[in-house]
Amino acid sequence: MDERATSELLPGTLYMMVLRTLNAGPLHGYAIARRIQEASKGGLAIEDGSLYPALNRMLVKGWLKAEWGISENNRKARFYRLTPEGRKQLETETELFTQLVRSIQLVMRSA
Amino acid sequence: MGFWKQAGRRAAYWFRRSEFEDELEQEIRFHLETRIEELERAGLSNREAAARARREFGSGARMREESRAAWQFQWLEDLLTDLRHAARTFRKKPSFTLTALACLALGIGANTLIFSLVDAILLRSLPYPNADRIVMVRFTPPAHSDQKLGTNPGSYFFIREHSRVFERMGAVRLVYQSVSPNGGDSASQWVQTGWCSPGLTDVMGVKPVLGRWFSGYDRDFPVVISYGLWQRAFGSAPDVIGRKLNFGSLGAPQVIGVAPPGFQTLDPEIDVWVLQPDENLALARRSPNRVFNLFARLKPGVTVAQAQAEMDSLASPMGAASPIDRGWSIRLDSLRDAYIGNLRQLLLIFQGAVLILLLIACANVASLLLAQATTRHRELALRSALGSSRGRVIRQLLAENLLLSILGYLVGVVLAWSGLHVVTSALPTMLPRFIEVTLNPAVLGYSLLLSLATGLIFGALPALHMSRSDLMDVLRDASRSTLRRSNLRGALVAAEVALAVVLLIGAGLMTNSLLRLNLVRPGFETRGLVTVQVPFQEVYKRTGINTAAGGMLAQVGPKLNQVGEEIRERLTHVPGAESAALTMTPPLGGTPRRFNFSAENRPLAPSEQEAWTAEWYPVSPDYFHTLRIPLLRGREFAAADSDTSRPVAVINATLAERFFRNENPIGKQIQTGVVYDPPREIVGIVGDVRQNRYEYAPQPQMYVPRAQLPQKMDLSLAQQFAVGTYVVRTHGDPAGLLPALRTAIRGVDRTFAITNSRTVDDYAAGQLQDLRHYTVLLSIFGGISILLSVAGLFGIMMHSVNQRTNEIGIRVALGARSGSILGMVAQQGMLVIGIGILCGVVASLALTRVIGRFLWGVTATDPLTFVLVLLAMLIVGLLACLVPARRALRIDPILALRWE
Repeated sequence: MDERATSELLPGTLYMMVLRTLNAGPLHGYAIARRIQEASKGGLAIEDGSLYPALNRMLVKGWLKAEWGISENNRKARFYRLTPEGRKQLETETELFTQLVRSIQLVMRSA
Repeated sequence: MGFWKQAGRRAAYWFRRSEFEDELEQEIRFHLETRIEELERAGLSNREAAARARREFGSGARMREESRAAWQFQWLEDLLTDLRHAARTFRKKPSFTLTALACLALGIGANTLIFSLVDAILLRSLPYPNADRIVMVRFTPPAHSDQKLGTNPGSYFFIREHSRVFERMGAVRLVYQSVSPNGGDSASQWVQTGWCSPGLTDVMGVKPVLGRWFSGYDRDFPVVISYGLWQRAFGSAPDVIGRKLNFGSLGAPQVIGVAPPGFQTLDPEIDVWVLQPDENLALARRSPNRVFNLFARLKPGVTVAQAQAEMDSLASPMGAASPIDRGWSIRLDSLRDAYIGNLRQLLLIFQGAVLILLLIACANVASLLLAQATTRHRELALRSALGSSRGRVIRQLLAENLLLSILGYLVGVVLAWSGLHVVTSALPTMLPRFIEVTLNPAVLGYSLLLSLATGLIFGALPALHMSRSDLMDVLRDASRSTLRRSNLRGALVAAEVALAVVLLIGAGLMTNSLLRLNLVRPGFETRGLVTVQVPFQEVYKRTGINTAAGGMLAQVGPKLNQVGEEIRERLTHVPGAESAALTMTPPLGGTPRRFNFSAENRPLAPSEQEAWTAEWYPVSPDYFHTLRIPLLRGREFAAADSDTSRPVAVINATLAERFFRNENPIGKQIQTGVVYDPPREIVGIVGDVRQNRYEYAPQPQMYVPRAQLPQKMDLSLAQQFAVGTYVVRTHGDPAGLLPALRTAIRGVDRTFAITNSRTVDDYAAGQLQDLRHYTVLLSIFGGISILLSVAGLFGIMMHSVNQRTNEIGIRVALGARSGSILGMVAQQGMLVIGIGILCGVVASLALTRVIGRFLWGVTATDPLTFVLVLLAMLIVGLLACLVPARRALRIDPILALRWE
């Protein structure tokens, strides 16, 4: 069993992380999952599978576009790419999140 | 914006669902396989790698489910689930479902039907461009503000010269004309012609389908024929332009155009338009005869009200310019209002009636749903206990209502569809024929919306009520909430009764009027009388001379009476015919001419002149005998009353009584306002005859022998003489004699076009036809309303007896007599009915005024009608209480006590 300490995601933060990950360029679902796990150093309890409903919801919202391409291991894979709307969303979410974290930290320090 | 884009993406998903599933599977496979490869590369065995990859991935089923859900319209999916559940619920309760469905279908069907009329008559646009700018200009005589008459040539010119609000004006006058389309002596047709000024077609603004309209420069007797006549008489021949029609003595006009289908000005439909150049009209500028229908097109941006204001200001200068127009006012109506007359008000009344019906149906269904509440409560409480939110429970209930209203809608539309032909055949005959009543998409859409709104109305109350109640209460089935519920149901049923009372009183007042009208005797024996109308060719010639009053004079040929009498002679000899008479308008089937008159040695003050008018009937010998109009004093006309003998007249009892109160009128000289009419001696008094069954009192009437008519008369009068109306008294079946009568007339001249062969009973029925249709329709609605409210009452009574089985059982066990049980049960029902009736009467007192103008001989608050409706409602209500009460009596105390 995986015994590492993990923390639950704050609601909505998965969107933000996916948007941030895709900011550099298009990736397929597996790569997104890896990047998030690696970047968080395995500190987040996200099942890989839960990424896909989130991706689909973001497609509906129009933040992402998906198209089929060839992966680095030479297979057919679905690549996700930020739309201009998605980029805007990333900015607002980042800003809101920074604000939120700062506020929480202020509370945590003063208490 | 964003919402619609999202909805678009979701909708796109709907069409590529299976593709989406494939892609999702492919994506999962790619993810897992890539992960396994990676883990294997890190040194895990294939089995370990696969297990770890799967663990990291989590539940594939949930991932698929949630991915799919991301794309779906969640509420739609929920709705479908709810609807499926609702359908199951309904299948389990067929009697409830069928009752509710029947209520809704009746309510919605009636509304669909009436709205199809409203749509066709009030809403759909008229077949003319910018038809809202077309108005009809009519004239109201002094002191008769309810009348709207046509224009005379003088007023037409006056308004045209002084008004600034009209773009174009056109006048048209109707003339019956016997026409043979192909010239020669082929049997002629009897058509309505419209003699119109060149502006008329510009006012209407439509293009002819063939040829052209008139221009102001046409001088060679051009005509435009209707689309219908083109089809009927010319077989839609494309080369009809340039052909000639045979107008008898008037000549042979040339067809220059064919009007588009549906083009007409006013009832009756015109088949041939004849150009009446303005200079011809100008000749008759001083004529008082208001025989022209005047239409005008408003300038863009001018409202009817603004135009009316200008007309109001023109009325007195118009009267100053010509004495015949003094005191008259000018009235504008939009073309639609001119077409439909008081039908708008009537339709709104019916619209109100069916909405009341729908409200009753709603209340009934709501009441049924509340009754279901007892059983439903346990189910719903269980669902709440299992975690359904209140919103979710309400949604489930609303879904049931939605299903119910959609089913009600479907059945209702079928009902409306099957009732459509009944209603369309009941439409007033004066409606233009292009008005077509159909269940078109607009009507269906309206009634769908109405049904959905209905579902919300009847569903919301019980749904809120049910979902609000306390869970514990419900599981204990506490009587407190039951009581509240039955109060609510009682209020609903009382409202139903009140609404039904309003409808019934309305229907009752109309029925009362109709019965009274049917009791009115026309003053002659209608049974066995038949009329045939014959146009006489060449009976008059225009003289070009104007009368003192300004009209044009016509010379009536001697042939008029020869031909008339010859035909009458032949008709008398048709086997089955007893006698025949010739007159101008069919009895009960037209408007007689009215003329002023004065009596010898009785100079009239100017104020009296208006009052001394009488209906004027030029008749042949045998007229009174044929109609069975009783002779009261003096003598009838005889063959001896000819153009060479002393001019005579016969008056009716009302005229004698009103104008010769203390004198014997026989032997007195009277002078009519008919041009060139000689002074006449009154030789007889006959009984009163009603020409119009709606008349409250018989009118003063005067009869003169046709043989003694002046040879020169006003053109408009001469034109009326061009059509003879024969009235034939028959022994047997009057309608069966018609072919023989026609043959007899053709024996005189085979080119005669015979029309309007109808029995007088038919005319008599025709006068009441519209009122009868309205009454029947309103009575049907009233009947349905009483049925629905009684069903509602019956329902709550039965329910209440069931609820109180326990209590009643105890009372019986303690020795209560059956009378007191009966009283106790009935009391509850009668209280509901009593409150309902009381509210209904109060509402009726306020509401029946709207049908006031359709009533005859009764006031809108006629006490007798009110009392009868109340009694009927009480009796029906009592019956609805009786069955549940008897059931209460039969309750066995032992069983009742064990019942809980």
